[in-house]
Amino acid sequence: MTGRALAVSGMAVAVAGCGGAQSVFSPAGPGASRISDLAWILIVGTIVPAAVVIGLILYAVFRGRRGGGGPRVGDTRVILLGGAVFPALILLTFSALSARYSAEVAVPPSPPAFTIEVTGHQFWWEARYPDHGVVTANEIHVPVGQTVRLQLAASDVIHSFWVPRLHGKMDQTPGHTNVWWMQAAEPGVYRGQCAEFCGLQHALMAMLVIAQPAAEFDAWIARMRQPAPPPADPLLERGRQVFFEAGCAHCHAIQGSHVLRFTGSVGPDLTHLGSRRMLAAATIENSRELLRAFVVDPHVFKPGVRMPATRLPADQLDALIAYLATLQ
Amino acid sequence: MPPADPPLDARLASVWATGPGFYGWLTAVNHRAIGLRYIVTAFVFLLLGGLLALVMRLQLAGPELAVLTPGGYNQFFTMHGSTMMFLFAVPMLEGIGIYLTPLMIGTRDMAFPRLNAFGYWVYAIAGVTLYVAFLFGTAPDGGWFNYPPFSGPGYSPTAGIDFWVTMITFIEVAALVASVELIVTVFKQRAPGMSLNRLPLFVWAQLVMAFMIVFAMPPLMLVSVQLMLDRVIGTHFFNAAAGGDPLLWQHLFWIFGHPDVYIILLPALGIVSMIVPVAARRPMAGYTLVAVAIVALGFLSFGLWVHHMYATGLPVLGMNFFAAVGMMITIPSAVQIFAWLVTIWRGRIVMTAAFLHVVGFLVLLIMGGITGIMVSAPAFDWQVHDTYFVVAHFHYVIVGGALFPILAALYFWFPKMTGRMLGERLGRWSFWATFVGLHVLFFPMHILGFEGMPRRVYTYLAGLGWDGMNLTSTIGAFVMAAGILVFLVNVFVSLLFGARAGADPWGGNTLEWATSSPPPPYNFPTIPVVRGRDPLWDETAAERESWATSDPEHPRREVMVTTLLDAAPDHIDLLPGPTIWPLWAAVGAAIAFLGSMIHLLLVPLGALVATVAFVAWLWPPREEFPA
Amino acid sequence: MSRPPVRHLELPRMVQGHGETVWWGMVFLVTIETMVFASLILSYFYLKAGAPAWPPDGIAAPDLLLPTVNTFILLASVVPVAWADRGVRTGNTVAVRAGKMTGQALLVVFLVLKVVEYAGYDYDWATNAYGSIVWTTTGFHTAHVAVALIKSSVVLALSWKGYFNADRYLGVQANALYWYFVAGIWIPVYLTLYLSPWVL
Repeated sequence: MTGRALAVSGMAVAVAGCGGAQSVFSPAGPGASRISDLAWILIVGTIVPAAVVIGLILYAVFRGRRGGGGPRVGDTRVILLGGAVFPALILLTFSALSARYSAEVAVPPSPPAFTIEVTGHQFWWEARYPDHGVVTANEIHVPVGQTVRLQLAASDVIHSFWVPRLHGKMDQTPGHTNVWWMQAAEPGVYRGQCAEFCGLQHALMAMLVIAQPAAEFDAWIARMRQPAPPPADPLLERGRQVFFEAGCAHCHAIQGSHVLRFTGSVGPDLTHLGSRRMLAAATIENSRELLRAFVVDPHVFKPGVRMPATRLPADQLDALIAYLATLQ
Repeated sequence: MPPADPPLDARLASVWATGPGFYGWLTAVNHRAIGLRYIVTAFVFLLLGGLLALVMRLQLAGPELAVLTPGGYNQFFTMHGSTMMFLFAVPMLEGIGIYLTPLMIGTRDMAFPRLNAFGYWVYAIAGVTLYVAFLFGTAPDGGWFNYPPFSGPGYSPTAGIDFWVTMITFIEVAALVASVELIVTVFKQRAPGMSLNRLPLFVWAQLVMAFMIVFAMPPLMLVSVQLMLDRVIGTHFFNAAAGGDPLLWQHLFWIFGHPDVYIILLPALGIVSMIVPVAARRPMAGYTLVAVAIVALGFLSFGLWVHHMYATGLPVLGMNFFAAVGMMITIPSAVQIFAWLVTIWRGRIVMTAAFLHVVGFLVLLIMGGITGIMVSAPAFDWQVHDTYFVVAHFHYVIVGGALFPILAALYFWFPKMTGRMLGERLGRWSFWATFVGLHVLFFPMHILGFEGMPRRVYTYLAGLGWDGMNLTSTIGAFVMAAGILVFLVNVFVSLLFGARAGADPWGGNTLEWATSSPPPPYNFPTIPVVRGRDPLWDETAAERESWATSDPEHPRREVMVTTLLDAAPDHIDLLPGPTIWPLWAAVGAAIAFLGSMIHLLLVPLGALVATVAFVAWLWPPREEFPA
Repeated sequence: MSRPPVRHLELPRMVQGHGETVWWGMVFLVTIETMVFASLILSYFYLKAGAPAWPPDGIAAPDLLLPTVNTFILLASVVPVAWADRGVRTGNTVAVRAGKMTGQALLVVFLVLKVVEYAGYDYDWATNAYGSIVWTTTGFHTAHVAVALIKSSVVLALSWKGYFNADRYLGVQANALYWYFVAGIWIPVYLTLYLSPWVL
């Protein structure tokens, strides 16, 4: 069924630090970084006493020496000291640290520069930049070093927005809007994944967060605000027609003066499809061949995804793909 | 104890016996028969759930494999979790409790024998229903806690979730029934002299577990019915568009769900408190502290549930409160660990397969416990929630903290239940394979979680760095499965060829060792008087006083009822004998519930059958009416 | 060497009354049911807390006259049942039969008035979440009243057959306990469903 090779963008792996592309311990932003600090404190702080206790138990079990006798006066004291007093001290410390770190990472470290509204769908991410007038999907750009406010919502079932190298996760629950934040301290490509089971294609519902220096980010915004160019030649015009006739416009929007009827919102906005590094919620590389294969039958790559297969004669398919490739 | 009296024993045996043949099996109400049924049935579900897991691990052994379709995988992980949590863990521990508790407190059966039988039938129907649905391809597929809206009518239109709700409801009824029985039996039928501060620690654990079930299961009952109503008659409890809230499900489910894991853990801790003193050949140190710790665990466990919802956007202040309670609940567990440590330290260990499993349990519980402390912190949890780190955590605490004590219990009480010893050598092989396999299977999952692998994914992409650890996990799963297989082989071989066990093969301290292996249908010919916490160590059999409860020429199903605090003898109660009505009542309830999915007329029909069965069940025998 | 004595039954057999196992069983059944009602009430206030308007726009706050009258009827039914409960311990069969039947009659009136009340609702369980929680809660309670009616019929039948006397009355007691529960739990349900929309 998944006979096709799914190529992960090499970029995602290349920027990985000591961990992999989605590692909690390769933080690239203040949120993930603070959490990583707390994590190390908790890990070391619990492993050491645990190892001591396990050591005592194993020693007591296997030492084979004669012990014996009835209850001794010191027993209660030992049990209370070791089982209650000592753990209580450690745990109170952890509770206090946890409270401090949690309160700290729950709020943005600096006033957010702007807001991104991310809505979870089965099985893709809708991203709107209300302060910039930009609509896109599955690939979110942010300026390096600036805090971004996230407004997280869900259109159908519960999803969860998670980019481990940048921050902890926050659920997207129908009927609720959760406010969260994100900041990337270094430029790079950060992979995220849906972290709340949402159905058949939960496993491959991923996204890319791309952090860019301010100038590049502004350039990206400027390009994203542009509508799609009208088809420049008959092949592309044919492709635009196929897009409508084959029913793609029922689900996918394309912004542009030549496509006033392409306003579907069931699937991702495709206005700048060509500029994205990956397709299908960061699952397959964005190449003509893979795009074509995906359009023909998405279920080869992602069985259960809501997009149906598209049966088209080869020439119409060629035109369609050519048109889609112009949506940069 | 008085000398054996064969004619009296024979009369008692015939009065307390279960009927012959298949009909006798259907009508049995004896607590040991019911307990064994629970144990065997639950073990079958353990194997089924384990097979599901093996297939899941095959699917995840490498990236983008096609052993299962996405839909198939989603059914498998839902069935795996539901089976292990609802059809294995709680029923197994209940079964052990139903079998042992009357023996440990020196009585002949539980307070409501027919209710006991009813509970088992309801459980069996629940499990069979779920698996029949699975075999027909309509298993639930939203995870063992099935969050709406995904599990609601809009996104799960097929019947899988309905079968799941039915199973849940029946399991709850079975658990509630068993709990009420346990509480009343322990309160009313203890041996004379067994005041509450002399109660075996396993019985303390069962008692607290039973109270927890009484308070924790009703929210689950309600919320699962609410889901059913949303799906079947169009209510909007979880539909945000009409004023409902998906988070209502999460709150009510976890108000049950968190105590549930302690409902599973407490009896396991109780089992360990029975095995450690016998293995160390000395009484349990810190008995009072341990009893208090058990009660504290029961209470505290109700104050943790929000930690399952840290990522839902709740106020941080509230989450920090639950985090603090979550950290503090470590303390009663730590108290018990230290009590065991002191007992072992002051004693002299005689190593057996049972105790080896206890040692394994201690290591695994501590490891699982520290990851529990970690995820109790909201910030930490915001990274690892819904990842394989959590999967690692709860498998360490549940497999380590419950399955290992269950295996230890089976090694320890197998002689009592069957009259044969379970093989020691196979037991050690089984232990090592299971223990090592568990680590190989679950330890890498901590790392996978840190590397960003979410839960409930049917596959993962190559190049994320998850391949090696997933493959390792899969190998560990098969090693662990081999360990369980060896255990099964051991059971069969020992049943056929095992060494015969006497009444007390381990030199035990509590009353179950004072009767034969297996016990006669009436457990004890006379009710023993208890003078301390370790009756068999406090006095020899020759020294022990007892009460006769029956006219020796005409014994009936008599049990002694004692007072609540001090267990002073109070009066004699008559218990009912075998009857078919509990089975009919369970069948009626099944018709009503399952019928709601087929045709609504079946609901009143089932209710009628159940009502008639209950009336017939409770209708007094003819001789109690005036002539 | 003398053996320890085997004591014999100087004890009474078959005691009735509070503290008996069946009575305890009923106490726990009542506890479990109370927890279900508590979860329903919790759901009600949780949904209310998340709603912009409660009851939602288009639904009026509930009428109070009929439910309040019905509350008194239900609470009144406790009196004859308590009379039966007391009476059975002294072998007063008139108290048992008359008391239970009077109580049942009051329950029937309660049920009839409930049906009238339900008919007057212009929303149902599928209208919105408010409808869902209100109908489920009141329906659950009404089902309990119906069950109390059925259970007491069985107890009544046993009484007509002469089963109960001063030495055997546990069934009447257990049934009365369930009755007190059904009446008593109505109070927080009433306060939640009918009064809280006006007051909170």
